[in-house]
Formats: sequence, C-alpha cells, structure tokens
Amino acid sequence: MVDYERRHHGPKGGRKRRYREDDDYDRRQRRRYEEPLVAKVRRQLLTIAESAARRAEDDVVNIAKSVADNYEDEELRQTFVDISVDLALEQPLKIPFIAATVLAANSYKSELVSDILTKASEYLQHYIDNGAWREVKLLLRLLGSLQILYEGDGIFPILEELFERAVVLQTASSEDLLGLELVKIILFTIPYIMASPITGFETQANALLEKTDIIASTPHALVDLVNPFSPEYDTSSAAQSVISLLQSQLQQEASRNWELACLPRPWKGGRDNEEEQKPLEFGSKHAFPQITVPDPVRNGSRAIFPEVYMSVYSNQEMETVPPTSNIASSLLRDVLVDTINILDFNRIATAKYLIDIDCYFTPHTFVKRATPFDRLRDISGDRPTWKPEDVAVDAVFSQLFQLPSPQHKLVYYHSVLTECCKIAPAAIAPSLGRAIRFLYRSLETIDLDLSHRFLDWFAHHLSNFGFTWKWSEWIDDLELSSVHPRMAFIIGALDKEIRLSFAQRIRGTLPDPYQDLITEGKEKDTPDFKYSLDTAPYANEGMEIMQLIRKKATDDEILPVINTIEEQARAMGVEDPMLPSTDAFVTAICFIGSKSLSHVLSCIERNKERLLAIGPKSIRARRQVITSVMEYWADQPGIGINIIDKLLNYTILTPLSVVEWALVDKLEAGTILARAHVFEMVSATVGKVTNRLRQIVAARTQPGLYEPQLSVLDETLNREKADMQALFRVIEDSIVSVAEGSNDEMVERGDGSGDLSEDEIIRQWSRRWLRAFRRKAGVEESFIAEAMTTATPIGTAAPLPQEGTSAMDGPVDGDLDIADADGAADVS
Amino acid sequence: MTVSPRSTVDRLDRPSAYYLGKNKKRKYSQDEPDKVPEDPADNLKNATTLYVGNLSFYTTEEQIHELFSKCGEVKRLVMGLDRYTKTPCGFCFVEYYTHQDALDCLKYVGGTKLDERIIRTDLDPGFEEGRQYGRGKSGGQVRDEYREEYDPGRGGYGRAYADDQKQREEEEYGKGR
Repeated sequence: MVDYERRHHGPKGGRKRRYREDDDYDRRQRRRYEEPLVAKVRRQLLTIAESAARRAEDDVVNIAKSVADNYEDEELRQTFVDISVDLALEQPLKIPFIAATVLAANSYKSELVSDILTKASEYLQHYIDNGAWREVKLLLRLLGSLQILYEGDGIFPILEELFERAVVLQTASSEDLLGLELVKIILFTIPYIMASPITGFETQANALLEKTDIIASTPHALVDLVNPFSPEYDTSSAAQSVISLLQSQLQQEASRNWELACLPRPWKGGRDNEEEQKPLEFGSKHAFPQITVPDPVRNGSRAIFPEVYMSVYSNQEMETVPPTSNIASSLLRDVLVDTINILDFNRIATAKYLIDIDCYFTPHTFVKRATPFDRLRDISGDRPTWKPEDVAVDAVFSQLFQLPSPQHKLVYYHSVLTECCKIAPAAIAPSLGRAIRFLYRSLETIDLDLSHRFLDWFAHHLSNFGFTWKWSEWIDDLELSSVHPRMAFIIGALDKEIRLSFAQRIRGTLPDPYQDLITEGKEKDTPDFKYSLDTAPYANEGMEIMQLIRKKATDDEILPVINTIEEQARAMGVEDPMLPSTDAFVTAICFIGSKSLSHVLSCIERNKERLLAIGPKSIRARRQVITSVMEYWADQPGIGINIIDKLLNYTILTPLSVVEWALVDKLEAGTILARAHVFEMVSATVGKVTNRLRQIVAARTQPGLYEPQLSVLDETLNREKADMQALFRVIEDSIVSVAEGSNDEMVERGDGSGDLSEDEIIRQWSRRWLRAFRRKAGVEESFIAEAMTTATPIGTAAPLPQEGTSAMDGPVDGDLDIADADGAADVS
Repeated sequence: MTVSPRSTVDRLDRPSAYYLGKNKKRKYSQDEPDKVPEDPADNLKNATTLYVGNLSFYTTEEQIHELFSKCGEVKRLVMGLDRYTKTPCGFCFVEYYTHQDALDCLKYVGGTKLDERIIRTDLDPGFEEGRQYGRGKSGGQVRDEYREEYDPGRGGYGRAYADDQKQREEEEYGKGR
C-alpha cells in the first residue's frame, strides 16, 4: 500500500538539519551576509516547535528577546504581532508555543504584549460579531494561555458572558445548537487556562464547570442523527457527544488538580540557568481587553450540528489512541481537526503537521513514531502506548465520517491521507490497514452514507498506491451471499477501482478466488449490441435504428422504424408499445456512444428532441430509458449512472423517474438496496434536487430583494420544495415496505415465513437506507427553515429611489441564474 | 483595522509559475510600451477550467471524469489530441460549473495519481477551439518531443529524441540494420 517514488520533505521542501555542527559549518562557509533580523524572527516564529531536533523552549526565549531588544524596529514588532495572531488562527497546534513566547516577551518588554492583546482582541471582536466560532475558540485559547498576565479575573468574565448567552438560547429552544457551541468553546478554553502558569483560579474554573454541566450533559435530540453507527446496534460509548464527553473529562481533571498531562508547558526550562529563573516572573500585568458579546449572538456561515466522538481504533487489544476516559482524547482530536479543516489549502502542510504531532505535546505523550503495533506490548505498564500516527489518522477519519457532512469535500480528506502515506509510508500504512479492517468489520452497523464514503475512499486511496491491498484476508467472505454487506463492499470496491483504472489491471491485483468477480463483460470496451443477434425481438428494426443514428440521420428518417416497432408490439398485445421502441432507440444511442463520454453525449445531443418527447408521452417509457442505459452498461454500472446523470441535466429524465426506477420498478424484493451503484445513483439524484433548492433559497433570501421578484421566487421555492418532499416520500414509502416485509416480491420469495437469513439482511439494508434518507430530508428541511428566518417578507416593496441614485442600481435583479442551475449539460 | 489574516503556509490553489511566466513574456513583447502591464492572474480570478497534464495516452474520458467529479460536477471535458493522428496525447481540459470547484481541484486532486501517474493541474482562462491539439512539431505535446526518458504511457522516448537517436545509429552502423 505504500509508494516510495516521491518523498516530500515538508511543505517548503528541503531536509531537516539534524546536526548543529553541520549547520554552523555551513554558515561559516557560505553565508556572506547576515540574515536580516526580521526575516530570521519571522522564520523562527513560523516554524516554532516544528523540529524535534531543536528545543522549542530555547526558541521561545530567543524570539522574545530579539523582538524585545529591538522594540523600536517597527517592522520587526509588527511582524511578531501579526504572525503570532495569524498562527493562532491557522496552526492551533502552535498556540501553547506562541503563548510562551508572549509570556517571555512580557518579562522583557511588556509594551509588546499590549500590542499583541490589542490585535488579538480586535480580531476576536470581529469574529464574535460575525459568529465565526472556531476562530473565537482559537483566539480565546491564545488569550486564555496568557491568564497570568491579566489583572483580576482575566479571561473568566468573558467566558461567563458567553455562558449567559448560551443559557438564553438553550432556554428559548430545546433544539438550540448555537448555545451548545458556545458551551463547547468555553469548555475547550478551560484546559488551556488551567495548564498555563497560573495558580489560584481553580474556584473560577470549577464554578464554570458546575454551571455548564446541565447544558453539556443533556443529550441533544439530534445526536442520534449524526451517530456514525445505527443506534439499534450501538454498543458502548460510540454515541457520546463531544461536548458531554469533554464535560465529564474536565470534571475528572478538576478532581486531579488539573494535571492535563498532554498539554505542553514550553515556558518552563529555558536552557541556561539565568533564563530559567526569569520567565516565571512574567513582568507587569495587563487589563484583559474589552470585548462586547452581542445580544443575541448569531451564527456565521458554518452550519452547526452536534458532534459525536468517533474512533476507528477503539476496542483494540492494545490502546493506540487515548481512551475516551482520558481528556487527551478530546484535546488532541479538537486541535487536529481544526488543523485539518483550516489548512485545506495545503494538504501537504496538513499531512506534515499530522506526522509531526508528537512535537506539539508533552514529550512521551506518544510512543516513538512508527513503533509497530506488535511492539506496544513490550512497553512497561504505566507508560502510554499511544501511536502518534494512529491519533493523526483517527482525526482525519473523524472528518471523513462526519455526519451529516464535513466542512470540506470528501476528496480533501482522501488527499490528506494520501499525503500522510507519501511522507511516512512505513508509519502510516499499517495504521490505515488497521483502520480499514475496523471499518470492514463494522460494515453491517455503520451508517449507510458512511459505508459508501469508506468504499469511495478505499478505492481512491488504493488507486494512488498501485492498487495494492491484502485481498487474501477477505477470501473467506467470498462465500457470503451477494447481498451481505461485506460482499457488497467487495463488489462495490472492485467496481470503483475499475472505474479509476481498467478491468484487466485490477484483475492482475487480485488473488485467484476473486477472479470470477471480474467478469468478461467488464473487460469489454464496447458491450455487445443485443439487436445484432437475429433471435432478439425487433432485431431488424434495432439494427436499422442503430445504423441511422450512426450516419447521423434526421429524426424524420428514424420515425418510420420507431413506428414499425410500435405496430409490431401492438400486434403482439404489448400494453405500452413505446417500451420496445424506446429500448431500441436508447440502446442504439448507448452502443453508438460507447466509445467515450463525449461520444454518447454528442449522440444524445443530436437526438435530444426525440428523447425529450418520450417522458411526456409515457411515464413508463421514460423509466425504460433508464432500464436501457443500465442494461447496456450492466457490467460497468459506473458508466451507466454517469449517463443517467447527464440525462437528468437534459431533463430527459426527472429525479422522480430515477428514484421510482430504482426503488419501485427494480427493487427486486429489496436486493437492489445492497448495490453500491444504486445508492450512488439515488444519492446523486437527490443531491441534484437539494442543491437546486439551496440555490433557490439563496436567491430568495438575498438581501435587497423586493416585489414582484419576491413573490416569483417564493412561488418557485414552494413548488420545488413540494417536489423535493414528494421525492423523499417515494423513497420513504418504498423502503418502508421492505423494512416491514410487506413488499409483495419479498413475501413471494422464500417460503413465506420471512425467516430466510437473506431476508433479515435485506431488512437491515432497508433500515439503513431509511435512516440515511430521513436524515437527508431532515437536514434540508431545517436548512430551509433556518435560512428563511432572515428572508425579506413577501409584499416588501422597493424603497423609493433616493435622489441621485437610480432604481436600476439595486443590488440584485431578482432574475437569478436559476435556469442555469439545471446545468444545461453541454458536456461535449 | 481590517481583519485579514495572512496565510502562514503556501497555498496550492494559485496559478502555476509556468502560467504566470508564460503570460508575462507575452506582455513585454507587445508594441505598446506605455500600457500598464496587467496581472496575468486576473484572467483566472473566476476561472472554472483546469488544464490537466502528464496523463497517459491511454487514460480515458471516463477515468478522468471519475476522478475529477470528486471536486464537483464536470461541465465539459476536452481531451488533448495529437494534431495529426487525432488520438489522445496526454493532456485535457476539465471545466466545472463554479470557480470554487476548480480551486478545490487544484488543492485536492492536482499532484495525485490518475491511472497510476502523478497528474498536473493548472488554472486555465478557458478552452478555445484549437487548443485541444498538441503544439509539438510532430503533433503531440512539446514536452514529448525531446524527452530522453522512456515513458511507456506517453509513446516511449520523445519523438525528436528518438529520431535523433535513429539517425545517429544509422550514421554509425549504416542504414538498414
């Protein structure tokens, strides 16, 4: 699973210097000029704590001293202030080290700290006003780590004030999530205050904890919704919310005199003795900056959902990540997740910080990097056995498996894992292996959405590493029924691999027992055209249509052949003669277009009029279009669903037709629910509908919108919302029939007792489908409701134009690109 | 005071040095010396198209679509073709519906593998007819003319290099060997 061809050496390239002697030697030889001080401080500050070969404590003191000694150098001073705050916001792993630098600076030159406090508080005010709560959390962490520098109670009053806002929100609604977010921020600030070099604030911290308890410990109604495992199978602590977990961990920590063992204390122990004494005095005191918390507070652009703590390394025989009973589990996870989500613009840097995680915590929090799992047993009793790479990988998976959806596109988290594997293959690959085995074992109980995310990641990841996987360990599972979740996973994963590569290549990576899964049909670039067999019904007409389409004949030339098929069908008593004619027409388009996506699209484009005319004439014929495409591409369903997707863009198909095709026509007693590509197709279709609705909501809720556009948009919104609800209802109704075993086909199969083990597996699938789509429906409903609270009410007329401005200058024209939102598929 | 934090690490969603360099050169060769040189990155501030390079000649549209649709719906895919043979010559243009999808693609897909090759992505001001063809002398991409390494995914040795080698061999050993 590893790949040695490219090794990165950090986001800025280059090797780490290991030996001080070499470094000094280089300098004498090559440096002809002294590096300007500002550049040096900038570099030192940006890379603080990054190298295991340097003592961060020394850098902390050196940076503080350089800046303090040259306080009159404005550029230097500004660089120090700016980078300190920027780093806190962007690289939270470094906050304790930035804080230590600021503490040291205060003992040399306390004006420097006033500058930092001014900047940090201005930023904090901005983020509080705009409801950017992650940024608020990080700045409070920086400020909280400086508690010893403040007069009086320091940071506690603002935490109290945030708590009051949370109480108001929680009292107003039991569904409130913003209040919970505020409490989470308070809870994540407390450990950093208590780990800082203060004494005597235990009373304040404990009092605050006592108050947050009732809010943090009450389970929120939505926690089940975001639980990565179906509640019916839930074991142990999987469903514990992040906030309730943290509350109890903090209470425990309070009873242990705030040990907080993993958090670094880089203000202790500068190298030479003189410095070691000095920093503990920390210089003169400052007033905590004035911050106004708006009432009521608002939420910014990131939607808030409850978070559940998830680990892919729980229940192992050796503990490789902190258990949820230890506060390190929450502290490490929180700062890693923020690092991952903030640095999405440089996945290589993200991966580097994840690999270097042991540099940013108390030494010996982890075992040595790349310690093999089997060697953990040799570690003596009281030492932790946490593997840094497991903790890092676990944090990435927690985001990949975040419900309802993570902050960034899923492929970002794929790319972080890929980079981690490239930087430290020997360390990361075995950790990924254990994660994969855990997820594979959990396939029956994990949320359906997440099992597909796992599938998609797995195939994509392997495609970056030569498709190497130890398939041999799953050979026994090949005996399972094809509807079993593990077998469905294997089939789905191989299909995805083929889509990123080609069948012959994937065949070559598989042990013998898997060979039968790569059918001959999958290796065919052009699937057979069924009408080329003389025995096929309508063979002559099918061939004729195909030749006409091939030579780009006009619709007038095709029409007679279509009519012939329909007449024959009618003569044979076929109920809907359009079905065979549509089948011949669409199958011919697929065959002619089989060379590539471009080919099939231009073929569809040329025959668009006829295709568009099918649906309005016969709903069943419209669904026949889907059948014909999916049957032609039966061996490569990925290509089929891609074509379906484009046909939706052309409005040749409707979302409802796709859902009804899958969950009504082709339900096949529920067995279709086990097929990965069907879930992909239905999800993509639903996704199209919800995306469009979100665009309409965005148009409807934009500020500065007046009548008559308001009413027009409102009507569109209501109509499309009703359509969306109807779509979800069809999904609900058809799957419920399977879940309850009342589906006719299901009753017919087996001996009628419904006791077949396969029947139980299918009922399990249906419950997982229901859960996934009910969640999607719920998330969309609440998104719309939430967004509409800020919408301009219907009937609002434009204010009279003021003198000097024209009415035409209005911010919007109300006529949005909604028509374009369909994506007039010009994929060519 | 404005709140505008600066990135503490490089961003991967910027136009490449290649793009900026190429467009800078063109600017100086223009006849109007007085014209204020515009930032070549301006062309890209709403770009939805990516140039994708270092593909194998055998990578299909479907494979490209499969990977690139992870960053958003693909609006259009234009394969790069050899000017003479009209067969794929190792590059393509991928157009998304939104600028953000294109940026995300630079960040998350550029520099990863497709068909087991590390691919290169670069923001592009937009596809224009004619740009689907290779600009090399022999019809393919320029980089495939002089490549000295053997690359089975891109037609073996560079074409000019291979011709050169052949000629040298003929000079040394005589024709027809």
